[in-house]
Amino acid sequence: MGRVQVNIRQMRKKLILLGVVAAYVFLFAACSDDHESTPAPYFYIPAGFPDPVYQFQNNEVTDAGFALGKKLFYDPLLSRDSTIACGSCHQQFVAFAHSDHRLSHGVDNLLGTRNSPGLFNIAWFPNFMWDGGVNHLEVQPLAPIANPVEMDESMANVIVKLKRSSFYPTMYKAAFGTDTITTQATMRAMAQFMGSMISANSKYDKYVNGKTSITANELNGLQVFRAKCESCHKEPLLTDMSFRNNGLDQSFANDPGRAKITTLPQDSGLFRVPSLRNIALTFPYMHDGRFKTLMDVLNHYDSGIQMSSTLDPLLTSGSIPLTLQEKNDVISFLNILTDYSFIQNNRFKE
Amino acid sequence: MNKSKLVLLGLAILSISFVSCKDDDDEDNHATHVSGPGTVTLDISNVAGLVNVDETGSTSYTNSSGESFTVNKLKYYISNIRLYNVDSLVYTMPESYFLVDESNQTTTQLAIPDVPAGAYTKIKFLVGVDSARNVSGAQVGALDQANAMFWTWSSGYIFYKLEGKSPASTQPDSSFVYHIGGFKDGNNTNAIREVEIVFAGDSLIVDGSREAEIHVLADILKVFSTPNAISIAAINTQMAPGGNALLIADNYANMFTFDHIHNDPH
Repeated sequence: MGRVQVNIRQMRKKLILLGVVAAYVFLFAACSDDHESTPAPYFYIPAGFPDPVYQFQNNEVTDAGFALGKKLFYDPLLSRDSTIACGSCHQQFVAFAHSDHRLSHGVDNLLGTRNSPGLFNIAWFPNFMWDGGVNHLEVQPLAPIANPVEMDESMANVIVKLKRSSFYPTMYKAAFGTDTITTQATMRAMAQFMGSMISANSKYDKYVNGKTSITANELNGLQVFRAKCESCHKEPLLTDMSFRNNGLDQSFANDPGRAKITTLPQDSGLFRVPSLRNIALTFPYMHDGRFKTLMDVLNHYDSGIQMSSTLDPLLTSGSIPLTLQEKNDVISFLNILTDYSFIQNNRFKE
Repeated sequence: MNKSKLVLLGLAILSISFVSCKDDDDEDNHATHVSGPGTVTLDISNVAGLVNVDETGSTSYTNSSGESFTVNKLKYYISNIRLYNVDSLVYTMPESYFLVDESNQTTTQLAIPDVPAGAYTKIKFLVGVDSARNVSGAQVGALDQANAMFWTWSSGYIFYKLEGKSPASTQPDSSFVYHIGGFKDGNNTNAIREVEIVFAGDSLIVDGSREAEIHVLADILKVFSTPNAISIAAINTQMAPGGNALLIADNYANMFTFDHIHNDPH
């Protein structure tokens, strides 16, 4: 079926070139009757979502650009010793988080310091990383490439290796009209691929859009969530993108979080509020992966909050009280945030 | 590009015809001159006091704290170049981003093309990269992030890199590493500095028929001294925005001095 899709796409290109739009629409409709899926646009704004931060300015997603970005995403060539690809720590079946890894290992089996987050809806993120240190989607891949415990490679050397390749120059030419391999072209191709990772088709989304019903427990969980969690995990992205100290520790000597970037003492111990979409898949939880289960997380907010001077004002009461029933229902709700069509989408498969 | 070339050509033709009109009235002064735009060169000599910087690490210098040191690396950004006639801004070079690298002497000659004909008395530029380009994603040319002048973990350009060795350093390998940058005003980390160089009473004439070169000195000893005394014993490593980076930034704002201009007809 994948091959059929490619044929459709090639055909579409030719037909657009010929300007026979009507014939294309007819053919497209005829084909889609026979096959279950039609090529959806790479990037779109799901119902209810705000405008994205990354607007694909000067970088419209194309078949060739997306294909190049995908090739790069799964290519360990980006690492110093060709052992680690982006896809090593960002696996599709767990919404591009690192399955069951508290921390991830990079080159020479070196261990990272923070939990690998899932990748989806990142075109809506104003900045990246647990500390928000990266300010633009196009420069995000530079961080793991350069990090000595992740890929430990210089971008200059990545370019050298890409130029040596037997197929990359052709792919760059197809994507950007020139086989000159640059940092900008490389990063833009990756932005096309990763920026197109949209997750907005969970049972929760279908419920919100009036297309399905949810169980009584899930509904109760949603109501508890909206009353007690939503002030930070704001719908529809399920994060407000802010940085907060959620009471994990009393001191932050090991990892100052946001303060590492801003140098401001009031930012010590603050970390990005993560999206809760696909949260059932992306365990373990928190910036250091300290909690194994969603119940551990809810127990933390109920009875584990540690006091400190930068503790988030919403938590200074010391607890978000939750009954066992509420916890179970919230977990039922969190489970309907899993987007199976996203994790199974062939488009993103290695 | 073709369009802009056409526009330039059009402008050149216009200005030539303008000159030929003037020639009718004032033949003596303009008969043999072209009066079109020209290229101005900003020629930077990196020095340590009175001698050129040797970035191979084999020459020792002494800073104002009395510490001897050698230099292995010296790289910095010059951007946003503007040319003035007295206090009137005449020309802003578009896309003016230069990475000066002492190990590659071609990078110390900054070509400013398409400067309109006229007389200029000073130049202004930034040491560093304007905040907009620090937040605009993957870049090309001098700003290519592969030039190793970009913090990947805290997005932003390293404006100024000075690395070397000194017995005053407390590092095991006696190294000192100054990577200075930071573009945000909010939390007092802005290390972008504007430099103004006045041509000491001279005028630089641009008319398309003569060389137009501004020669300036950039003194690393001032980076250790003016106005802030930087001691390698006290600061051997600075690789993030804020704090001591600002002291060094205030110093590199003062490292340039005007030396002379070359302005002879070709």
